[in-house]
Amino acid sequence: MDSEAVKKAIIRQALQATNTANARTLIENINEKCFERCVPKPGSSLSSSEQTCLTQCMEKYMAAWNIVNATYIQRIQQEIGNQSITNA
Amino acid sequence: MSSSTEHTIEQADLEKLNDKDKAELRQFFSNEEQRSRIQSQTHELTAICWKKCVAGNTIRSGALDKGEQTCLASCVDRFMDVNLATLKHLASMRQQ
Repeated sequence: MDSEAVKKAIIRQALQATNTANARTLIENINEKCFERCVPKPGSSLSSSEQTCLTQCMEKYMAAWNIVNATYIQRIQQEIGNQSITNA
Repeated sequence: MSSSTEHTIEQADLEKLNDKDKAELRQFFSNEEQRSRIQSQTHELTAICWKKCVAGNTIRSGALDKGEQTCLASCVDRFMDVNLATLKHLASMRQQ
């Protein structure tokens, strides 16, 4: 491997590790929130209404994550903008 | 994952990196660190704001309704306001 190939391999592996960690955290949080929300009294199996609730809850949680992420990034950029005005 | 074809990076490989690629990697990791920080903060904020804006509502579909969307965005902004207000007040307390 030359320098370029080593660099690319490091980047690929690092991205994979970060993305896996991010997905794992998201799944853990979805499990926790949607279990709490959709299975208040655990029975002998998941009922079909609980399963419907779980898929809808999961979709909602991911939509919420995207809104929170976009709003947070927008706010950070805004704060950085304010800071550079005050410092100027 | 194609781990069979994935080459494991070893010390000997790292020594092959030229200065230009080392600089690029430093930049890459600094960006990744920031991206990672933003993502973990997003995870925490989503959990906090889910509780305030969605958890108590009846789930009727897989989509967030308009009220929930607005609430989530406001939740993030007000959380940041509180964050900044706390820091500001702390700074004024230290000056006394």
